[in-house]
Amino acid sequence: MEQNKEMTAQESLRLITESFNKSRKDILRDSAKYFILWGTLLTVTSLVIYLLWHLTGKPQWNFLWFAMPVVGYLLAAWSGKYNKAIPQNEVSKMLSGVWSVFGAFSVTLSAIAVFLVPMHVTLIIVIIMGLAECISGVLLKNWPIIIAGFLLGVGGAVFAMLVTDEAQLLIFTLGGVLLLVTGLIMKLQYR
Amino acid sequence: MFPKLDPILHSELRLAVMSILAGADEADFTYLKKQTGATSGNLSVQIDKLTTAGYITVEKGFKGKMPRTTCKITPAGQEAFGNYVDALKEYLSAGK
Repeated sequence: MEQNKEMTAQESLRLITESFNKSRKDILRDSAKYFILWGTLLTVTSLVIYLLWHLTGKPQWNFLWFAMPVVGYLLAAWSGKYNKAIPQNEVSKMLSGVWSVFGAFSVTLSAIAVFLVPMHVTLIIVIIMGLAECISGVLLKNWPIIIAGFLLGVGGAVFAMLVTDEAQLLIFTLGGVLLLVTGLIMKLQYR
Repeated sequence: MFPKLDPILHSELRLAVMSILAGADEADFTYLKKQTGATSGNLSVQIDKLTTAGYITVEKGFKGKMPRTTCKITPAGQEAFGNYVDALKEYLSAGK
């Protein structure tokens, strides 16, 4: 694109559409890496805690949950440092906002449940996680993500009421896999 | 009578830059360079023209220790871009 040539109306519109779409794809493909990062982290953390709790019988392993946001934030900051200056648009900003709010709710409610007022924190978190996933699907105009989020929220809530504390961790393993798959879908959708 | 196309926007490279900035909050010089395939010199000249026209703003800063030039579309730029697209559509619909 070195020559500042005169263009026909059709060429101009084609250029606008191509540039706009290419940039949009870049931005949303870049957002996918955060779904993959947090999905992997959630899957690994939930499985590790489940195994440690199962093997030792000590629920105190659940304190490891509080390390997850720290590790995730450091990894996200590190990956952002080396990214190729990909811009943000309204959709990527809203996705980031929705999941940041989810994170803030989850960490705060977990801390309150552990230190102040006991509550069924798995039930609450799985519902808002399903909701955040549904909203992500709406923003990305992707029906499989909307349906998966709905099933995670509703199915996870029912499952959380039916199984013991230890087995409830597997809901978060499923949630982690779902985030991972969402990231992979985005990578494919915006290839 | 057809509306006159904005001569600032009716240039391949400047239009590509404006199209990218219309869909993003802001974009780095390096990103614009990669997306358009333009040389640094030519891109700088075209960005200067868009800045002079009041269609974009340019901010120079640092990301870590690396210098960073960020471009952002202005409200005047958004309006001009919208008018330009409307004018193109009129041309095309008249040609059918």
